[in-house]
Amino acid sequence: MKLNGKVRQTGISHSRPRWSFNSLAAASIYQRIIVRVFYYLVLCSLAFVFLYPFLTMVITSLMSDADLINITVKWIPNEVKWSNYKIAAQQLSYKRYFFNSLLIAGLSTVGHVLSCAFVGYGFARYKFKLSGPLFAVVILSMLVPVQTIIFPLYIQYSKMGWLDSYKPLIVPTFFGYGLNGAFFIFVFRQFFKGLPKEMEEAARIDGCGPLRTFFRIMLPMSKSSILVTTVLSFVWHWNDYFEPNIYIRTPGKRVLPSMLPSLYALLNSEDAMELVMEDGGFTFNNAMLMAGTFLVVLPVLIVYSIVQKQFMEGVERSGIAGM
Amino acid sequence: MTIKTKKTGTAMVKPRRLSLGRKHTLEVLIFLSPWIIGTCVFFLNAIISSVRLSFSNIAQLKGFVMEWAGLENYEYILAYDINFMPIFMTVVKDTLINTPLTLVFSLIIALLINKPMFGRGFFRTCFFIPVLLGTGYVMQQLLQIDAMGTVGVGIVLPPVLRGLLGNTIATVVQSFLDRITLILWQSGVQIILFLAGLQGISPTLYEAAKVDGATQWEMFWKITLPMISPIILLNFVYTMVTYFTSSDNELVGYVLDQVFVNQEFGRGAAMGWVYFGFVFLLCGIIFGAIKISSRSRDK
Repeated sequence: MKLNGKVRQTGISHSRPRWSFNSLAAASIYQRIIVRVFYYLVLCSLAFVFLYPFLTMVITSLMSDADLINITVKWIPNEVKWSNYKIAAQQLSYKRYFFNSLLIAGLSTVGHVLSCAFVGYGFARYKFKLSGPLFAVVILSMLVPVQTIIFPLYIQYSKMGWLDSYKPLIVPTFFGYGLNGAFFIFVFRQFFKGLPKEMEEAARIDGCGPLRTFFRIMLPMSKSSILVTTVLSFVWHWNDYFEPNIYIRTPGKRVLPSMLPSLYALLNSEDAMELVMEDGGFTFNNAMLMAGTFLVVLPVLIVYSIVQKQFMEGVERSGIAGM
Repeated sequence: MTIKTKKTGTAMVKPRRLSLGRKHTLEVLIFLSPWIIGTCVFFLNAIISSVRLSFSNIAQLKGFVMEWAGLENYEYILAYDINFMPIFMTVVKDTLINTPLTLVFSLIIALLINKPMFGRGFFRTCFFIPVLLGTGYVMQQLLQIDAMGTVGVGIVLPPVLRGLLGNTIATVVQSFLDRITLILWQSGVQIILFLAGLQGISPTLYEAAKVDGATQWEMFWKITLPMISPIILLNFVYTMVTYFTSSDNELVGYVLDQVFVNQEFGRGAAMGWVYFGFVFLLCGIIFGAIKISSRSRDK
């Protein structure tokens, strides 16, 4: 790993000069500057397109009624209206559903990390007759979307008495299934395949069993893949509402994203008027909708902003490239 | 002396080899056991009953009694259902257009932010933000707001250009830009994966090529592209599957309606499998193409 990092670093410093087009290597400094400016222009405009939905959401969520009607106000609201968030949080019963979502996303993430690392290691290190076909099944399970088999699964869970609980969402993740489970198995397999075998062999010679080798040596070494899996699994589970909507019927057990439609419905209904009246006057619903939406994705944004740097490094080191 | 040791040696090696083999199988079983159990319980079971369902009719809803119907369901959806085929064809068309575009754009962006530069971290976060916002209701609502025109669409054609191009062409260009915007918003994970792939290519390859006088263009086609072909495949699969499962996919909505609203379970399952067949075929073609191209390269 260390050696790898070093090679990459020198690679980066070498690659500095080849950063504009080759033909420009001999070009004048002005031409180079122009190319560079153009490059940043392209990047900035692309970044803007990507940030656009996010910016729109944040800005709209803070707008007052007057700003929403006013067409000239697009980016900078005349007054910042924080109360949108208060009402949205109230209407979403944020606290309660937040913990539901956290429970599901958190446990599923743990399940994915444990099971996918374990299984991925098995696929990476052991060669046997069936390893090819079995891995093909992993890929197949990645290809078959849950929508195709949701109905048999529903019947199965109802027979098992799992409906209306979080079990159908959480338990499969501990077995390498669940939301994109196969993808994570793949990620871990690629990572472990890229690690040198010497470490394990040394451990084995010293009398370390396979399970202990895995948990004591290999798992701690796969921090980058664990981080990638954690972030992606958490984000995907947090945002997923399809499966929760199908399996969970009791309103109190719902997850945050599936509360959004009811917020929209509520705001579009007659009651919305009264609700808004309390707050003083007529309003467009957009601001509140966006506030609610922002509140739903906020935890994910916070988690990501904390681990952002390590996540990116983790992706680069996860060795997905070397098949 | 020597003969003796040899004898004992062979005598000792034989049983040990066997036990080693057994140990090996046991270890494999330990490591794969969670996944094997999972496959049996959460995957194979459902797959088999879904396939069976697509060939059956529900004779009795209570207790879920199935009745063999042969190809009836498939016949119905392909020949009689007036909604299925048109929706299916639109989805096929969209997939065929969107998937390559997604791959191309995410690769371009990954190439742009792969190199060391000012504000790299910022740009990387930018391109990942749509992933965090999710593909679900959140994104849908944002898009809807755009559709209502309250805020305007992502990339808007400047009015000056619109005047120059004339209305018809401008509309076409605008709809293309809208498509691109949508595609860009859905390519966060793909960009990340491509970045990982690009980082995995050893710089020594480029250095060697440069010494031999290769241009950037040649290096891209001869080094970068072949080296990341596995990622292309992975991204391809990922793109297809996300599109397949996304909530704004009409066909998925239609299939779910059949199952959960109309209670036409057999037909719903058959539709699911027709669609899956298409996705599987596409992935097979891409997989084959990459394999053949890598084989011809080896020669």
